[in-house]
Amino acid sequence: MGDKDVGLKIGGLTLAEGGRWAVKEFDLAVPAGAVHVVLGERDTGKSALLQSIAGFRVEEKGTIRFPGAEGEGREGAAARRRGSAFLPREIPPSALRVAERLTLHQAPRWLGIGIDKRRAKEQARERAAALGLEPLLDVPLEALRPLERRLVELAAALAESPGILLLDEPTGDLGPHEARQFLAALRSAAERAQIPAIVTTTWPRDAYPEARGVTILWRGAAPVTVSTTEVTEIALVERWTGGIGIKRTPSGAHTAGDMLLRAEGLVLQGRGRETSLAGVDFEVNAREVLAICGAPADGLNLLHDILLGSRTPTRGTMHFLGKDIARAPRRLRVDSGMTFVNPPHARDQSILDFNVDENLALGQMQGPPFARGGFLRHDSIRGNAVRALLDFDIPETEPDTRFGDLNLGMRQRLIVAREVIHNPRLLVIRSPGQGLSLEAQEYVRRTLILQCERGTALLWLTEEPEEAMRVADRLAVLTAGKLVWIPVTETMTREMIIEEMSGAAA
Amino acid sequence: MILPGRCRGGKLQLLGNALVVLALFAGTQALALGSVDLNPAAWAAPWTGDVVLVSAGLLFLGLAFLFPLHGGLLNLGIHAQFLVGYSVGASIVRGGIVDPAAQAWLALAAGVLAGGGTGLVMAWLKQKFAIHEVLSGLLLSAAFMPLGRALAVDRVTPPALTIELGAFATPLRFAPGLSLPPSFVLTWGILLLSAALVIGLLFSHALRNAVAGFAVRATGANPLAAVATGVEVERVQLALLGLGGACAGLTGALQVWTQPAVMLERWPFPLGFAGMAVAFLGLGSVRGALVAALVLAAWLNTPGAAAVLQHPGWGAAITLVLLSPALWVLPRLQPEQGAPRSIWRTRHREAI
Repeated sequence: MGDKDVGLKIGGLTLAEGGRWAVKEFDLAVPAGAVHVVLGERDTGKSALLQSIAGFRVEEKGTIRFPGAEGEGREGAAARRRGSAFLPREIPPSALRVAERLTLHQAPRWLGIGIDKRRAKEQARERAAALGLEPLLDVPLEALRPLERRLVELAAALAESPGILLLDEPTGDLGPHEARQFLAALRSAAERAQIPAIVTTTWPRDAYPEARGVTILWRGAAPVTVSTTEVTEIALVERWTGGIGIKRTPSGAHTAGDMLLRAEGLVLQGRGRETSLAGVDFEVNAREVLAICGAPADGLNLLHDILLGSRTPTRGTMHFLGKDIARAPRRLRVDSGMTFVNPPHARDQSILDFNVDENLALGQMQGPPFARGGFLRHDSIRGNAVRALLDFDIPETEPDTRFGDLNLGMRQRLIVAREVIHNPRLLVIRSPGQGLSLEAQEYVRRTLILQCERGTALLWLTEEPEEAMRVADRLAVLTAGKLVWIPVTETMTREMIIEEMSGAAA
Repeated sequence: MILPGRCRGGKLQLLGNALVVLALFAGTQALALGSVDLNPAAWAAPWTGDVVLVSAGLLFLGLAFLFPLHGGLLNLGIHAQFLVGYSVGASIVRGGIVDPAAQAWLALAAGVLAGGGTGLVMAWLKQKFAIHEVLSGLLLSAAFMPLGRALAVDRVTPPALTIELGAFATPLRFAPGLSLPPSFVLTWGILLLSAALVIGLLFSHALRNAVAGFAVRATGANPLAAVATGVEVERVQLALLGLGGACAGLTGALQVWTQPAVMLERWPFPLGFAGMAVAFLGLGSVRGALVAALVLAAWLNTPGAAAVLQHPGWGAAITLVLLSPALWVLPRLQPEQGAPRSIWRTRHREAI
């Protein structure tokens, strides 16, 4: 690759992140028009690297160059800020319409004063057409599906004619088929504009088939860059695990017991352009794992909300141990033996400012053994934490450690420990390993499956076909607001599930 | 005690606040040296019921801001609650039906109820119409300002009720009050101060050791998680704003007790907001606020402070110094999770 073709060139880059080196003496060259993936679990410095390329942080050492952004230090960072387009992980909801968003930064002016609405509309139409968004021009951003919102942000970024596209975990809230669609659109946009695109992700699958290369970031180890033409996806996953000898779960099919939860005809209107639930029926039995796989915007979020008690279905019933709980609050569900494990980054399952011992007793402070006569029993709370840390083999953590000081994987281990320690009748699980290292993912899955073998029913909601395949005794795909059942067999493949999720099988 | 989940002040912040207090003491004395109005003799007789009432007032105002703060609420309606308490108390004094001592207690009780009611209204507006407490608090403060002026006991605009800086004249004009004898003010002032101390320490103890305190901390640190674990977040916030309002209302009503020598009216900005200065200087912890209130009361009684606060420019400078701790405490006030997404709505309401 000659210098002429190089879109991004990083030489000897050293970056600090949270008291350690995110990257040290890091070199990278990405050709113009190519997509490059930066793969790593949460807190490995992916975002720091991206922010440094975008010029939001000044590098400690080294050089970062792409067309239109030369120079070093503060000057170089300012040039990179001007010349790059950075798409953050979270897109705040906005009441702007798509057409307005697409012309927000460089709206054509009338006599240099007011906005020339006619020209602005034409411009917006052109920009939307490049990514197939034309029918959505008059839709407010907050009503769009996550994929559409990402595409709109991409179109808006391209309108600024940047020298490089930088996307921080753009597939985090997308299903696998949506992620593919987005990355394909990104690659063709990068090719057309002849600029490099750098994408951070926690999923190896995002590198295939669109990315030219992958850089793997580990905490405390040197990054490695590989080419996707030379390394297959399976080899990439193996390489990412670093040869730590992870054994796969589950331990085998389980024998189902009594029926615990039965949902019949659940109907709920989606928000904005989210797919509504159009009559969902399922039942969950003791000692089995029912996995439901789907894209978040295809009804998975709605179903999860109904199970959590955050939203009430407009039609249908949900019986748990014979009682209709469709309209019961979450507290009542927990009291009757249903508990929840949400994705590691979910905000509703831990309090970062509290200590580990308080988080391990969260939700159980109303009475014995953790409280008596309206007062907390600190000895019991601490004792519970000591026992949980020992039983669940959680290293380097003390009961009085601040929860927010632990890494994401450790926090999720503790949350899983808290939920299984009381032997619930039913565990509702939603993507428990999302964004964790493979080691942490396996720990979490293994702990949950072991709990299933003790008699607990697991209802496992996920957007990851691989995860569903690995844990399911029975498997359903949520597509167009309804469940499609797929027999769990040896010959079942990830592609079959993705096809069902995208509706291609129909 | 620095409470987890709220103002996580460290040694640097503590040092910063200590420097602010030092600057206040040293600065006002140094400035006053050049002032013709300086009366060093005033230092000889400050330790009376006046000082006690000033301390009690500042403590209650500090608690009025701190109670809701631990539930994740910024009680900027503290001045509104103070004004309502004052207005109700002043109305009772103007009525003059019963003897002064009975009026004094009646005014306090009515102030507590009126201030608490204002806090509850703010909570109701937040829960029913998703109006953020900062917005409703400021609007209510502005709305109650004319009421306070109209009901002022001596029909002179009390400086503490205005928003103009430095309009402090000598002799002090504010609230001739009930002409209560000094022995009454001293005795019952000590009781009120003790009550404020006990309430503050009990609250601090409950936060750490009681189930209800845990619910308050959970609500303040992460309302989403609090809801998920069965805490009735809206009820907790309602109670905290009501309690905070009651404390501010009590301080407002306490103004009708005061004699002309009371230093509270020399406060350089709307008096209700003094609670925020107390909370920020105390790094958001209850015990810190107790110390801050006593220190500020002592400062207000130095002869230098009395002289300097009569100067509009110096008054403005002191306001800035007093509010500077907010620079390092305020950014730590918002919960890390479930923080209000905008001034209009709170996220936990949208999620449930």
